[in-house]
Amino acid sequence: MAAQPTGLVRDDGALRRRHPRSGGRPRLPIRNEPLVFGIIGFILILILWEAVVDVGLAKASLLSSPSRILTAASTDFGNGSIWPHIGVSLLEWAVGFAVAIVVGIPLGLLLGVFRRLGMVVDPILSGLYATPTVALVPLIILLFGIGINAKFVVVFLEAFVTLTVSTMTGARSPDRRHLDTARSFGASKWYTFLSVTLPSSVPFIVTGLRIGAGRAIVGVIVAEFIAANVGIGFYISLNGNLLNASRVMLGVLLIGAFGVFIGVVIGRIQRYFDRWRPAIR
Amino acid sequence: MTEQALALRATGIRMEYRDPATRERLTAIERMDLDVHEGEFVSIVGPSGCGKSTFLKIVNGLLPATDGEIEIRRTGKGNDHAMVFQDSSLFPWYSVIRNVAYGLACRGVPRKEAFDRAMPMIRLVGLEGFEQKYPYQLSGGMQQRANLARALTVDPELLLMDEPFAALDAQTRELMQVELIRIWSQARKTVVFITHQIDEAIFLSDRVVVMSARPGRILADIPIQLPRPRDLDLKRTPEFVAYEDQIWRLIAKQLTPETAVTA
Repeated sequence: MAAQPTGLVRDDGALRRRHPRSGGRPRLPIRNEPLVFGIIGFILILILWEAVVDVGLAKASLLSSPSRILTAASTDFGNGSIWPHIGVSLLEWAVGFAVAIVVGIPLGLLLGVFRRLGMVVDPILSGLYATPTVALVPLIILLFGIGINAKFVVVFLEAFVTLTVSTMTGARSPDRRHLDTARSFGASKWYTFLSVTLPSSVPFIVTGLRIGAGRAIVGVIVAEFIAANVGIGFYISLNGNLLNASRVMLGVLLIGAFGVFIGVVIGRIQRYFDRWRPAIR
Repeated sequence: MTEQALALRATGIRMEYRDPATRERLTAIERMDLDVHEGEFVSIVGPSGCGKSTFLKIVNGLLPATDGEIEIRRTGKGNDHAMVFQDSSLFPWYSVIRNVAYGLACRGVPRKEAFDRAMPMIRLVGLEGFEQKYPYQLSGGMQQRANLARALTVDPELLLMDEPFAALDAQTRELMQVELIRIWSQARKTVVFITHQIDEAIFLSDRVVVMSARPGRILADIPIQLPRPRDLDLKRTPEFVAYEDQIWRLIAKQLTPETAVTA
């Protein structure tokens, strides 16, 4: 007897229908699954946290709890004492990051297009890229004082290096075929840059923005940890010294929420620039 | 045959290069002399690595030849030549119409005028209604139609086509061959067409130039005396098969076990 394909034919010789899916039971269709399940996970963590503290497995004075954080939030937002901290930190982030964008993207494009210039600057950039900017903060405070200017510089440095390196990488790697096409149609150097180099750099630039924005947040907090009298970083370190875990957690949550928000905004930007690419999902 | 003006004359083209790994001096093209008359459709076939694509890049000005001369007729209205590359040379970040108008944009033609002049070419290649789509939204055959329209839009004297259908599946390829004949008979361009597919070369061309294995040189220049207009039934006629046989024999002699491995 000839070998029979398994799965379709069984011992008894009768044909059986195969289930299209291994599970068999149809799933409930849920819109926006990742978001729904993400929120479920978040809520579960909050409940667990509250429970662990309430049954006494951990000290509320050290770990705080969601309800205690909520109380702290209503106090500090209620009397408005937290707003200056939020405002100053936002300003530091926005100014430092904006300057990093204005300087970093054009510089990255320039270094990518003019290869020899890029080679000259490469070791300096790689060095800066490998150095945690945190290590430079004491020096920056020495140079710029403990005021807001020092924070601008720290945030700028954190975002700028990533953004420049990422943009440069993009500007160095347009597809050979596209460059040949531009040349074959007699495009000028400038038009080749506009029609080939710049569009093919965009995904790299957006990645640079994403990573740079995150590093800029780190810059804000670290600079404020080291020397400041206002800002969310200062608020966290002050309340840490005062052993007020709830306020520390509130600060951390605010930073986290801001990070998520920026991620969503950049995701929107990315989707706009990626409209010519097949959706990766 | 009536005496036509020359559209392209290549004289004594020689191409040498240094192998980047071994530092050895290699000859890609030994000698190419080729005259193409106005309105003629000439295909170049040959075994892989014979330098046929290299030759086209030299004609296109993308590569400098080691020796020899390229002359292309100019009448002054459009570009003197335009290239249709292999797959994926469309700019993925531009819509179909911006891709097709690209050659005009390179010459500084304002956007609206360039689009107006691109539209008839989009219609000619059968892409009407797809102007606003991005290349990734098109099938391989449609992408190559857009690629062809982009080249035609600059109204070139000479159309250079570098294996434009190589990445298409067999059926789409046959369809595109028929389409190309239709478009060529309407646009009346001089075409130099590179392919490794013998039946494609015969089906499309007035002349088929057969190249040797590396170092490349011309083995034979065969006029294809088959009637036009042509359709796919032609491929099953004894005359067609005889041409196929003749060209295959020339190429088969060039194929050593070594070239078969690198192919």
